[in-house]
Amino acid sequence: MAETEQDSSVNPAQSAKQLDSGNIQGDEQTPDTDMAVGSSLLAPEPVKSPPQPQPKPRPKKAPELPIFECKNWLIHQHYIRKEYELCKSLIKEELQESQGMCEYAIYVQALIMRQEGNIQESLELFQTCSLLNPQSVENLKQVARSLFLLGKHKSAIDVYNEASKMNMKDWEIFHNLGVCYLFLKEYSKAKENLKLAIQYSRHEVSFQMLARVYLLEHDVDMALDIYKRAVEFSPENPDLLTNLGLLYLQTGQFQRAFEHLGNALTYDPVHVKAIMAAGSMMQSHGDFDVALTKYRVAAASTPESAPLWNNIAMCFFGKKKYVAAISCLKRAVYLAPFDWKVQYNLGLVHLTMQQYASAFHYLSAAINIRPKMGELYMLLAVALTHLEDEQNARRAYEQAVLLDQKNAAVNLNYCIFLMNHGERKAAVRQFSVFEQKLQEARKHSATVDQELLDMAARLGPSLHLGENLVWNKQQGADTANSQHPGKAPVPAAHTNDVPPPAEDRETTLPTAPPAELQPTAPPPEPDLDALPSPPSHPLEEETSSRRERVAVPAD
Amino acid sequence: MDLFDEDVSQPSPIALVEAKRERRQPRYQSKPESHEGNAKWLHAHYDPYSALYTFSSCIALADLHGDGDNKLIIANLGTGKYDMKLKVYKGTVLMTENTIIDLPTAVCTFFMDTHDPRTPAVAVASGPYIYVYKNLRPYFKFTLPPLDVNPVEQDLWNQAKEDKIDVQVLKEMLESLRADGSEGTLTVRSLRFLMLDPEDMPTFANLHKHSPLKRQTVITCMTTLKKSHSEEDAISCLVIGTESRDIYILDPEAFTVLTKMVLPSVPVFLDVTGLYDVEFRVVVSCRNGNIYSLKKGSKAPKYSIELSSQPVGLQRMGKNVVVGCMDQTLQCYTTKGKRLWVLTLPANVMTMELMDYKTRGFKAIMVALDNCEVHVYNEKYLVNTIKTEDIVTGMKFGRFGREDGALVMTTKGGGLIVKILKRNSVFEEKDSRPGPPAAQNQKLNIPKKTKLFVDQTMRERENAVTMHRMFQRDLYRLRLDAARSYVKALETSMTPMSADPLEPLKLSATVNGIGPSFQLTVNLQNTSSATPSINLLITFQYDEKLYQLQRSSIKVPLLVPGLNYAFQTLVECISDKAIADTIKVFVLRKGKSMPIITGNINMPVSEAQVVV
Repeated sequence: MAETEQDSSVNPAQSAKQLDSGNIQGDEQTPDTDMAVGSSLLAPEPVKSPPQPQPKPRPKKAPELPIFECKNWLIHQHYIRKEYELCKSLIKEELQESQGMCEYAIYVQALIMRQEGNIQESLELFQTCSLLNPQSVENLKQVARSLFLLGKHKSAIDVYNEASKMNMKDWEIFHNLGVCYLFLKEYSKAKENLKLAIQYSRHEVSFQMLARVYLLEHDVDMALDIYKRAVEFSPENPDLLTNLGLLYLQTGQFQRAFEHLGNALTYDPVHVKAIMAAGSMMQSHGDFDVALTKYRVAAASTPESAPLWNNIAMCFFGKKKYVAAISCLKRAVYLAPFDWKVQYNLGLVHLTMQQYASAFHYLSAAINIRPKMGELYMLLAVALTHLEDEQNARRAYEQAVLLDQKNAAVNLNYCIFLMNHGERKAAVRQFSVFEQKLQEARKHSATVDQELLDMAARLGPSLHLGENLVWNKQQGADTANSQHPGKAPVPAAHTNDVPPPAEDRETTLPTAPPAELQPTAPPPEPDLDALPSPPSHPLEEETSSRRERVAVPAD
Repeated sequence: MDLFDEDVSQPSPIALVEAKRERRQPRYQSKPESHEGNAKWLHAHYDPYSALYTFSSCIALADLHGDGDNKLIIANLGTGKYDMKLKVYKGTVLMTENTIIDLPTAVCTFFMDTHDPRTPAVAVASGPYIYVYKNLRPYFKFTLPPLDVNPVEQDLWNQAKEDKIDVQVLKEMLESLRADGSEGTLTVRSLRFLMLDPEDMPTFANLHKHSPLKRQTVITCMTTLKKSHSEEDAISCLVIGTESRDIYILDPEAFTVLTKMVLPSVPVFLDVTGLYDVEFRVVVSCRNGNIYSLKKGSKAPKYSIELSSQPVGLQRMGKNVVVGCMDQTLQCYTTKGKRLWVLTLPANVMTMELMDYKTRGFKAIMVALDNCEVHVYNEKYLVNTIKTEDIVTGMKFGRFGREDGALVMTTKGGGLIVKILKRNSVFEEKDSRPGPPAAQNQKLNIPKKTKLFVDQTMRERENAVTMHRMFQRDLYRLRLDAARSYVKALETSMTPMSADPLEPLKLSATVNGIGPSFQLTVNLQNTSSATPSINLLITFQYDEKLYQLQRSSIKVPLLVPGLNYAFQTLVECISDKAIADTIKVFVLRKGKSMPIITGNINMPVSEAQVVV
């Protein structure tokens, strides 16, 4: 009906419109004329503007009251563009206008406050919001969030519980509940809530938090499992991939670890955490140049990372550029004076450089920071031997042997020391412990440093041992397999240069110090502590192909 | 004559035309910059002083007069309070301006009938109204259907109207109704009424009580949906989202509500595809950070995408939804909510626009960032970057003048930029991101070592043993010295902490002032858990030629454990030489000559006395 009417009377209608064009253009006093036009076109709702009781005495007409929410959309538009200053002035106006009754304006103001770090104020504002609109789950969630940020986890949990009564299936509520419980160290409840959150809606953060709970409970397998699921859900997230890679590293599955770290780097070639982990793995395979190229990327984004400079230094060490290594290590130690790994490496490099006095200082510093590590004592003992402080060297060795469980080199070095001081019996005892440890290591298929074996082979005869034949046979086989001593910085360099000052050693004895090269692995530690939670879970099929990809960016 | 009908080889045809118009606005014409990314675009126009304050939703391009010349329609928010205008540009020249009463939320052009010539109508959403213009003249005003009024509230006002209740009762009743809050919010009238001072209430009530009570809402977003044909000039319906969390689809001819859909939150960005009469899908992002997808016939959303941060722009690419978020990411989802990819952007997103270049069948997403760049993404690949002179806040790509590939941008500073896509530009559909990051080729900054370092290394190698022994010996000496001094200090009570378990005291002192008068504050604390200290005195030892103390001895009252007591005295420096000395503070027990604790205060050098 409207259509026909309109069709037949386009021109008149239009001219009529022109007449009252004023009403659109700003004169609020004429909505009635407008009304008339509207209804002639079949206005949707006749109630629109107040019908005038008496047209003549105009002052009687009630003015239109602007709606409180009329600028909400504008506030929101500015808020999402992060134009906070504009937002704040808009909100201020709006609140003045509505005398603080505009819920959304307060809500956004609270959000901005929180962004700017005024959490207490934001909490109060959110509470006002939820007073204005007690039905809103969103307001409650924000109140709880502010409480959480203030560290009031218990109160936050209460509010979240209240909110969850209103909305039973909101993942966010359950996720945050889980995080609150995590901080309260109620791990079982945390897990329960996080699992619920994942059940309602899968989000990466929930997976990460759940894995973190498992790691806090030392359940690496479950954490690994969670990360595997997370990576399945979101296969391109470099954070998840890196964390998974690190978890594999932790569990000794180096191949998989490397694949995942490589994947992470394909998606984000500047992911520092992945670079560090992958670089340290490359280092331990002796690919110092590749590792260095990777570290360059990391150095651009985190030039003040001590672990990074430590690893760079150990790359140089592996390439026998000792001065560069020392430079980098000194920078690392400047950045992190209490990192024992850096001190350890400094000690090691100085030992290699035959700067025994300096080595002694760095090693004793490292021991002060980390007093329970056998290898540190062993290195200290080596330094002391060279500093001709026999008494202290012996005490250091004893301490080292006491503390160390696995490292065969400790015993071998001690054995050499004892031999050089003519204590054959004690030396033989150490040698047998060394052999035990070696057997143990073979059982776990860990690669054994070739230099260690050579040294032992030379040492054996001089001890006049019969039994070592057994070991020699095995050793033969072993050498064939592990041509390349897999360990990282083999400070082989100083093996031969330093025949210890004449001691009454037996002629056959190879100069004692060589065995000290031991200091294998520690340098390129991937600094696990710095990484929040190692992740878990790789796609197995993809692994082989991934490996190739990794190599590419490395070049 | 026509502005945009230009030869591609000409560098900037519009500049020529503009030269003729110079008298209108002497304008700062920035030179077309030859940025790398701009090689594909002709710089057509830049006026930094257009005084435009607007958003992408308030910009439209349409052939308003049916003459094949597309005009640019911008609803300007003015200052945000007044001077709201609907501006129409022909080419780059302002053609007409219409005043808008309230802040415009969105502008759409659509065909509402099948008359010839085929000229589209302009719909401007503002507050609770949609103003429809035809031929740039006001034509019709649509008002959103009012929301339900709380029946109790309605009843109260009815009674007030009939004078059955007085203003006081009305106020109390409304207040309790508001506090109850179970029936949704009250009408503006009631809320305003409750805000007033008691003496103004009767006037207000009398003024308003005769008009019917209504509860209105406002429009937050608007877009169009073709009704039954998909041609360019087919009749379209208006789709509007409101603050009351509804979506309305309006009939273009009768302006009746064809369909109403309800959302869980307030809509912010709308995207509609399909035909109303056949099948359509509304994708809408809401203020709760979720994106909902609704199909024809569904009253409530079916699929939802939960984003981790607020969306800043929403566009459809085929069957996928591309969202720019506040956390500097660009994310792509299927309409069913499965995430396809995420990109991290170098800066914050300001606005987004779909680049649909029909002549080449090329579609891409344009994202304006707050680092003065506009990125063009084809799928997840960055294919082009446009550098702009200011931060872009509003964008529209489409046919402008007679040029198909025009990009109109408004900037934060109020400027207007027009760029034209060169007709020979090709966007390569490949990943233009560089392989290895640039940092990989930079040399590491490794501190160099000097010759001195090498020399010292050599020296250490030769003399390691001697150095070590020397060091150890000196270290022992140092330790011995330290231990001796410590014992001595303990014996003579020279320390600020008492070593005697019977006198658990702690002393600290501060000096304020620049001289010649200083204020010396001695803080004394009893560190025991329960025993109070009594019979104590504070005294000072100083060089009498240098200093003069106001009180050289202070009686200490009973010290309650744990509390900090401050004792003050003035110190006058009586020497005019710029020298300073140490003042010793002793805490003594009455009747004993040996101090319990001692503090050394290093006095600062005094300023010379100024004689006026």
